[in-house]
Amino acid sequence: MGKANRPYPLSWRIMDAAEAVFAAVWPSRGGRMAPYIMLAPALLLVGLLVIGMIQIGDTSLRVLDRTTFLMSEDWTLANYQKAVSDAFFFKVAWRSLLGAAIVTVVTLMFAFPYAYVMVRTNNAALRKFLLIALFLPFFIGQVVRAYGWLIILGNQGIVNDMLGLVGVEPIRLLFNYPAVLFGLVQYMLPFGVLMLAPALTAIPEEIEAAATSLGANWWRSFIHVILPMAKPGLIGAGLVVMTLSLTDFAMPAILGGGTQDFIANAIYDQFFRTSDQGMGAALALLLVAIGSLLVGVVFTVFGAGTLAMGRSKL
Amino acid sequence: MKKTTKLGMRRRSFLQGTAAFGAATAISGLSVSSLWADAPEKPKEIIIRAWGGSWVDSLKKGVSDPFTEMTGISVRHDLTEDNEIQPKVWAAVAQNRVPPIHINWDTTTNASKSALRGVTEDLSGLSNLANTTELAKPVGVEGYPIVNTYGYVYVLAYRPEAFPDGPPKSWKELLDPKFKGRVAFYNDGIGFHFPAQVAGGGSLDGIPDAMGPAWEFIEKFKAQKPLLGEDPDFTTWFQNGEIDAACTISTNARAAKQNGVNIEWVVPEEGAKFDTDGLWIPKGLPENELYWAKEYINFALTKEAQQVWLDGLGLPGVVPGLTPPADLINDASYPTKESDFANLIRVSAQIQVENESEWFSKFKAIMQS
Repeated sequence: MGKANRPYPLSWRIMDAAEAVFAAVWPSRGGRMAPYIMLAPALLLVGLLVIGMIQIGDTSLRVLDRTTFLMSEDWTLANYQKAVSDAFFFKVAWRSLLGAAIVTVVTLMFAFPYAYVMVRTNNAALRKFLLIALFLPFFIGQVVRAYGWLIILGNQGIVNDMLGLVGVEPIRLLFNYPAVLFGLVQYMLPFGVLMLAPALTAIPEEIEAAATSLGANWWRSFIHVILPMAKPGLIGAGLVVMTLSLTDFAMPAILGGGTQDFIANAIYDQFFRTSDQGMGAALALLLVAIGSLLVGVVFTVFGAGTLAMGRSKL
Repeated sequence: MKKTTKLGMRRRSFLQGTAAFGAATAISGLSVSSLWADAPEKPKEIIIRAWGGSWVDSLKKGVSDPFTEMTGISVRHDLTEDNEIQPKVWAAVAQNRVPPIHINWDTTTNASKSALRGVTEDLSGLSNLANTTELAKPVGVEGYPIVNTYGYVYVLAYRPEAFPDGPPKSWKELLDPKFKGRVAFYNDGIGFHFPAQVAGGGSLDGIPDAMGPAWEFIEKFKAQKPLLGEDPDFTTWFQNGEIDAACTISTNARAAKQNGVNIEWVVPEEGAKFDTDGLWIPKGLPENELYWAKEYINFALTKEAQQVWLDGLGLPGVVPGLTPPADLINDASYPTKESDFANLIRVSAQIQVENESEWFSKFKAIMQS
């Protein structure tokens, strides 16, 4: 009775109206083309990005004339040659790649148990607490969080104050590579948990129970059942964390004390400090290439993770 | 041709000049309505790019507010970093768009790059230029695509308690192991390249072709693990006890001191960089807005405006007869007599424009290695 009288949902009415409009515009083959037309906005956005990349590519092939501060008319690979041969850029690229790898591994190590407890716990209060703790950082921007760490870890920060209570002299906790990685892990953790949680939710609890009933302790169940089944989530989370870390700007800039630049900081310097847009564009495209290459390698070796692009057709 | 010099008589002459008050007096003596009777339509506001903190406060008090009072035109200060506004202005001019600002308050070196690129309006018609010293004229560019408005010094700022034996006399004192991790520079090394050349045993004539001594000296500082940042970082670091010394513009050190930070500054025996900032107008403004932007700069060159503006900054201006702030009399960062200039290093804007990027890259390469 109640169900029969329930009003037609608004969202359905909207979809009906959209379909009616669409049918009026494209009555004969509209139904078949609908998915592709719905893709149009996304394709448009990607297309704009591609146009931007083409322009960046064009800029990257021009060198700066320091007598006029205009870009050269002719194309040259000079910027790329400098980017791959300059020890400074190599150092920065290596630091970024190593940092991204470390941050990814550490973040996944922290994110996995967090996500597991969050999706498995029967305690509603605990689940709510973990959810709130997960989403709260999203309301605080990256720069603000980085400055928060300056306050907490500074020479006169809370940590050093506490160390002072037990007679330890203030120690420099900031402005070094570990500080940058620490800030990045803290920033990336929610992303990792968010990517892992759906994958862990998809693992039926009955399978864990079956493993246990067949004699596996929790550890063996974790290693042989949960971890392999969580692989898509781990790969998806790893890709997100790795690419975001690789391209990060704020944490190295703020927590690195100016001596721990990542590639994004070097790109900024070229665009804004030395006015060399050609060199900045070349570095930007190399960063895109490195990131894409890494993602490609991961896809090739491990599959596409939660993107499920590697799923075989039934 | 001697390309670089420690400042001598030239600076003294600019400070001891006797030019008349000129337009400054005219502006104060005439009614505004008669002065600008034939002026084009006033815009509702003009936008000045500025540095924040005490910099913009001083500009507002000394120039912007009086200008608004006289003309009725509001002045909005855009605090976008000078390095970040530059490509935006360049792009706007290249695309024949109206630029995002009316006036850029800029370093002379950065402004000269814009002038060389051809995106600056000619300011040589400003009436108050007649009353300025030679410091107002940019070097290495034709005419007045920029008007320098004051000079400043990259001093050695320090916490007195970290130097119990008295103020540091040399940049080399900062190489003492006790200052490891407790010295700060600008993250591109600006202000330190030239003193490092001297402290490293080189000569100023070696700039820009033989700067090996500078880089070797900076390499030594790399081992000291210095912090690298921008103006606000220095203030924060001094306040939080993170650093004991920094190479920074005297204005920042003075502002920190006025805010209660225990900080002093010196010009070490190897010298300190002296440079200039200025004002310029990007091409592409509507005619009436261009006119009033020029009037703003013209007003900034009056003695009245310079006195208040530069009192706030604690810097020597380009109009003769300014009175130094009481706290900066006989201060090395506010040169007023020949002996003050003897230890200040000034390299022509042309050389800086052509080589600054390389110096920045080299400094960063050393510090990031």
